[in-house]
Amino acid sequence: MILSVSQLTKNFGGLRAVNKVDLAIAPATIHSIIGPNGAGKTTLFNLITGSIKPVDGSVRFRDRDITGWSPQRLAKLGVARTFQRTSIYARLDVLENVALAIRSREGMTTSVWQPASAERRVRDEATDILAKVGLRGREAVLAGNLAHGYQRSLDIAIGLALNPALILMDEPLAGMSRGDRETVASLITMLRDTLGLTVVVVEHDVGMVMRLSDRITVMQHGTVIADAPPAEIRGNEAVRNAYLHGNFAQ
Amino acid sequence: MREQLTADAGVIAGQPPRRGKAILVIAAVAAVGAVFPFLLAGEPFLLMLASYALTAAIVALSLDLLTGNTGLLSFGHAAWYGFGAYAAGLLSKTVTSDIVLLVLMTMLATAVIATLIGAVLVRQIGKTFAILTLAFSQIIFAIVFVFSGLTGGEDGLQGIPVPTFFGLQVFKPEVWFWIFYGVLVISLAFALHVRRSPLGKAWLAIRDNAERASFIGMNVNRLKLIAYSSSATLAAVAGALFVLFNGAASPDLLSWFESGKILMYVVLGGVGTLVGPILGAIAFTVAEHYVSSFTDAWLIYFGGLFVLMVIVAPGGIFGALSGIWTRGAASREAAQ
Repeated sequence: MILSVSQLTKNFGGLRAVNKVDLAIAPATIHSIIGPNGAGKTTLFNLITGSIKPVDGSVRFRDRDITGWSPQRLAKLGVARTFQRTSIYARLDVLENVALAIRSREGMTTSVWQPASAERRVRDEATDILAKVGLRGREAVLAGNLAHGYQRSLDIAIGLALNPALILMDEPLAGMSRGDRETVASLITMLRDTLGLTVVVVEHDVGMVMRLSDRITVMQHGTVIADAPPAEIRGNEAVRNAYLHGNFAQ
Repeated sequence: MREQLTADAGVIAGQPPRRGKAILVIAAVAAVGAVFPFLLAGEPFLLMLASYALTAAIVALSLDLLTGNTGLLSFGHAAWYGFGAYAAGLLSKTVTSDIVLLVLMTMLATAVIATLIGAVLVRQIGKTFAILTLAFSQIIFAIVFVFSGLTGGEDGLQGIPVPTFFGLQVFKPEVWFWIFYGVLVISLAFALHVRRSPLGKAWLAIRDNAERASFIGMNVNRLKLIAYSSSATLAAVAGALFVLFNGAASPDLLSWFESGKILMYVVLGGVGTLVGPILGAIAFTVAEHYVSSFTDAWLIYFGGLFVLMVIVAPGGIFGALSGIWTRGAASREAAQ
């Protein structure tokens, strides 16, 4: 397992937002976490990515205990994340968005003097990464001027610049048009198939999740109610009940 | 878009046409500075005013290093300006009169103390940071009165000896002008260079989106701290030079009023433009001198002007000038 979560717990006031959650994620798979609103998906996500700290339980990445690690340390370890509300540098050009992350990975962030050759290497690598996510030819565009779908791709490209083994995506399909959703979905598949990455997706769009995922964890009221491949999830009684007549039928 | 493309072109350093242009700019800047004191040969007071304006310009630039680069607003920047003045003044009375040594020692002391203080401050963001900077500057202000035996208290630090440069006394007004001018130009060149370096770009990244910056592995607090310390250190250099030039330091240098003025230079000139705050400081200092000789209520006019500027030209003097320049370029293009 590349990522394993055990007995992870987080309270908000009297509410157990995440209650003794276990999770095991196999390398080079797409693993989705779904559940109705308020199920604790986002809290679980934030616990894993270091935004908030758990009261109990542990998170392991490969052989390391990374419980409560800061986002900055996780980034250095090769755990990347993308954001539900696309998080890019709107006032910088597309290439610079990725170059920033590469320089950060290389520990060049605080340097004031940088040889032209080093800068060229950074820019070449950024160009390559952008080509992988389908942004070739848009390097000089201001990130804020990119179409919505491309901004999401750029968000993913920034994550890729960290050379991650694991990338966690917070609702990558949220608020996207149908065409953009297809683009991002094929991008996610590419991450697994071409780059060999492990992808963890928290998502509302259950239909897309069924198609994409190798394995799905379903949460309700802060606990895991099912954890299986999509085919089994589809027939799971508890999951059907959790969603009632929600969007699960799609 | 146009701005972006030119900024990108600048990243690829060492292109021959750019180098030629750079040499031309350096020559022009040096020539202006060299000749300026002679233009004011019969007006010793104006030359002194020019030196004061340049001091203000260095302080304004120092605040823009912090506020413009990282978005952190300081309401207490005069603390570092005044700290530099008192540190250099006290050192010159006790340790050495060599101006280079004095400035270097002041820089070192400021860098150390600002890093310690900054390490606490940069953990805060937005209003909290701004209020803490104000509180901190008031503490420094109070310290002057607590140790009035050493600092002269309300009377200020008096009797600062004329500094020397390799044994030669530095007292000619034109020499002082060149010192201020030189320090300002070198600081500006360095600030512009840093803006294009990985550090400068990382600063802009944390200013625009600190959350994302930490998720790509940037140490946001450390980056802020570097900005804070360099900003404080440059402000202290201005303070040190000012006190050696002026021969005395008053506690007013450390007051919240002085901090407000520094912030006004930056906003008036254009936050984050580096060049703008320098223009703002020079315009403010010169205008302050002339307007305050007409009326005691000059602050009322300045306050009004400030409000007007922020509404009419939110980009400051620099923003307004570059707007005119861009429109001019566009109409020239259209005419062709």
